[in-house]
Amino acid sequence: MKKRNIGLQDVVPFAAFVIIFAFFEIASKGKMLSPFSLQMMLDQSVMTIVSGCGVLFVVAMGSIDLSVGVNLALSGVLAVWAANAAGGALLVPVALVTGLLVGLFNGVIVARFKVPSFMLSIAMLIGIRGIVNFIQTNIGTQFIPEATRVFAEGYIRYPLFFVIVAVMWYVLEYTRFGKYCKAIGENETMAKFVGVPVERVKVLAFALSGLMAGFAALFSVTSVGGTTQQMGVFFEMKVAMAIFLGGVLVTGGFSAKLYKVLLGSFSITIIVNGLALIGLSETQYSQSFQGLLLLIILGVTILASSRRRKVPSTLDEEEPDPVANESRGK
Amino acid sequence: MSGENILEVRGLNKYFGPTHANRDITFTVRRGEIKGLIGENGSGKSTLISQIAGLYPWDSGEIVFNGEKYCPRSPIDANNCGISMVMQELGVIGSLPAGVNVFLGRTNQFTKNGVVSLKALNRAAEEVFEKWGLPKVPLNKLTDGMMIEARKIIELARALSVDPQLLLLDEITQSLSLNNRNKLYEIIRKLKEMGRSVIVITHDVEELIQITDTITVLRDGAVVGDVVSKETTPDEIKRMMVGRDISGAYYRADMTPAFGEKVVLSVRDLTVPGEFENLSYDLHEGEILGFCGLSDSGIHAVGKAVYGLARPSSGSVRLKVSETETVAIDRADTALRRNMAYVPKDRDSEALMLHASILENFNLPSLTDLEGKAGYLAPKKLKKRAADLVASMKVKCTDIFQTMDALSGGNKQKVNLGRWLAKEPKVLILDCPTRGVDVGVKAYIYALMKEAKKKGIAIILISDELTEVLGMADRLIVMKGGKVTARIRRDEDFTEQSVIGVMI
Repeated sequence: MKKRNIGLQDVVPFAAFVIIFAFFEIASKGKMLSPFSLQMMLDQSVMTIVSGCGVLFVVAMGSIDLSVGVNLALSGVLAVWAANAAGGALLVPVALVTGLLVGLFNGVIVARFKVPSFMLSIAMLIGIRGIVNFIQTNIGTQFIPEATRVFAEGYIRYPLFFVIVAVMWYVLEYTRFGKYCKAIGENETMAKFVGVPVERVKVLAFALSGLMAGFAALFSVTSVGGTTQQMGVFFEMKVAMAIFLGGVLVTGGFSAKLYKVLLGSFSITIIVNGLALIGLSETQYSQSFQGLLLLIILGVTILASSRRRKVPSTLDEEEPDPVANESRGK
Repeated sequence: MSGENILEVRGLNKYFGPTHANRDITFTVRRGEIKGLIGENGSGKSTLISQIAGLYPWDSGEIVFNGEKYCPRSPIDANNCGISMVMQELGVIGSLPAGVNVFLGRTNQFTKNGVVSLKALNRAAEEVFEKWGLPKVPLNKLTDGMMIEARKIIELARALSVDPQLLLLDEITQSLSLNNRNKLYEIIRKLKEMGRSVIVITHDVEELIQITDTITVLRDGAVVGDVVSKETTPDEIKRMMVGRDISGAYYRADMTPAFGEKVVLSVRDLTVPGEFENLSYDLHEGEILGFCGLSDSGIHAVGKAVYGLARPSSGSVRLKVSETETVAIDRADTALRRNMAYVPKDRDSEALMLHASILENFNLPSLTDLEGKAGYLAPKKLKKRAADLVASMKVKCTDIFQTMDALSGGNKQKVNLGRWLAKEPKVLILDCPTRGVDVGVKAYIYALMKEAKKKGIAIILISDELTEVLGMADRLIVMKGGKVTARIRRDEDFTEQSVIGVMI
């Protein structure tokens, strides 16, 4: 049996990653590969990856969750507040439960009331930001209790991160739930007609996305040491960007793979850090530069995948002869 | 000469990569001629007429239309020349209302100051429907929720609204029920009287001989024969298509109903508003229960309702799960869990993931059975199962990672059917299982049904093809306007005449 055909759209994100890495490595005269810089980049990617692992399930269904940024902020603010008010033991459960509840709410609204996820999560993004601002103006930014600082230590932080990624990897690639999410993205009507419990899967996927935002909140408050005013601002965009930059199609389906979240997150981090390393981040137009780079990579990825899909619509009439299909796969 | 022939195709060649889809095709269509095109799946029929309709260019050769060299750049271009087409795969836009779909790409004529007047557009669409006597379709409704038949009619209206000199119909009759088929035949006759020409593609040989003047047979992308319809027989055509003799007996030979005593599924007083009412029946082990009726008879909703996909206002569907116990089937996931199977009519949009691999399509309904410890779906296990199924169902493909959209209609249907048969379901619901497949695959599907029946699988066969239901079913339920008009057993008056009598 032959190996799976590898399409151009799967190669481009890899190539982009390698090219930008090589570019900044050379432009920064080798500063990029220093242990310090590598660890910093991993630290910066952790939150995006953790949250991206959850959002990926939603994207696989052809939906989107843009509420993870404010979800992170709300979970973080409530958790720190609870930990300070009633003991450090509450930090973890409050962060996770808050994230989960927000996700659950999203899921129920999307699945039951058929509200498009894009619109719902924008509404949530605005609404919850309001709540976060209200809480923060009343209690101000807070530090996490001394006892919970242990989460910032490498021997807890990294193992936790790897376990989360491994579990999400397993669930997405090797369980029925993961397959069902992708099947919904491929063809929702089909999923319903086969007997996939579409509503339940949707609620669960959004809940998972929320839970992962809760985890991201934990990483955020423990690494910073407390809450900030700017918590989670633009975070949802970074997560979505990482997923699409990694090569997941907006329509979701079987193009959703976990390694793509890692790839996309690291690409973004490299661009941001690389620009800093070569001294471009001080300029006012560094953000435009980031945007431009992202645009180019996305453009090439989409071009590559649309070329693959440009197949005559009457394939029905073609004999599936081996040679023809190979050429089509590219 | 140009007065006589409306279309002349000379030495046309088309390649898709290394596949030679059309080889030196030469044929002509006269004014007022109804031309049939027939051939197995993959013989190049659709490719040929898609080129005539301007969907894509040919590689060499030429086409003369109306005495002039013809080289369309797009379907709209072809429309302007007087050629329109109804495609095999669905060509309506679901998020647009029916009326707009009729004038897709040509809404400019209703535009005033940059705004399309829906009123004027719908009026014009209505005129098209009236002029050609097409069955009514709600013009303001989005086409998304419509049945496949209604969508086909919208496409037909679109093609006719062009007022074509040459109309191309690609396997449209298979999506229509008997009454609307007759309407279509009438339209074709009308076009002929007006001196217009039609090219018809269908897999139904008998139908083709009946409605056409001449038939061109294709095999492996080349023309293998031109015959006059009146002077040929179905067997001759089939021989030309396949290149060898094939036996016509693919239906059941016996005329006695044969099935077990045990009732597997019982439906009581089931009513789905707008579809059918007070439907009751029992389905037995190893029985093939046929459903037939015209387009508004509600037969297709019967299949959906049994699989828990409809919202009945009253009544029940109960499945026997053990000697003493039955469960209500009111949701599709319950039906799946209880080992029922449903093969819907619209293969591409309701049954398959076209951009996903054969592997994923094969395994989706069986994931629960394939789970190991901690819900682990071992890739090895999934691959092996898909590979086994590809082999046992004789699916023509390069490997199990190939995406579905690269398969021909017949092979898609093999995947669609095979994934359910492999589970040995208790109840198998088939809605038009042979739609859009050629005679070879058709025979194979009937053989599979017979085998499933022998294993004791209870089958509900819903079909627009009367001969198919008569050929396969033990009992037949005929419906009209959502009500049962007759229940006939195989050993009773099991003929087309008697069924049509109660159907219309």
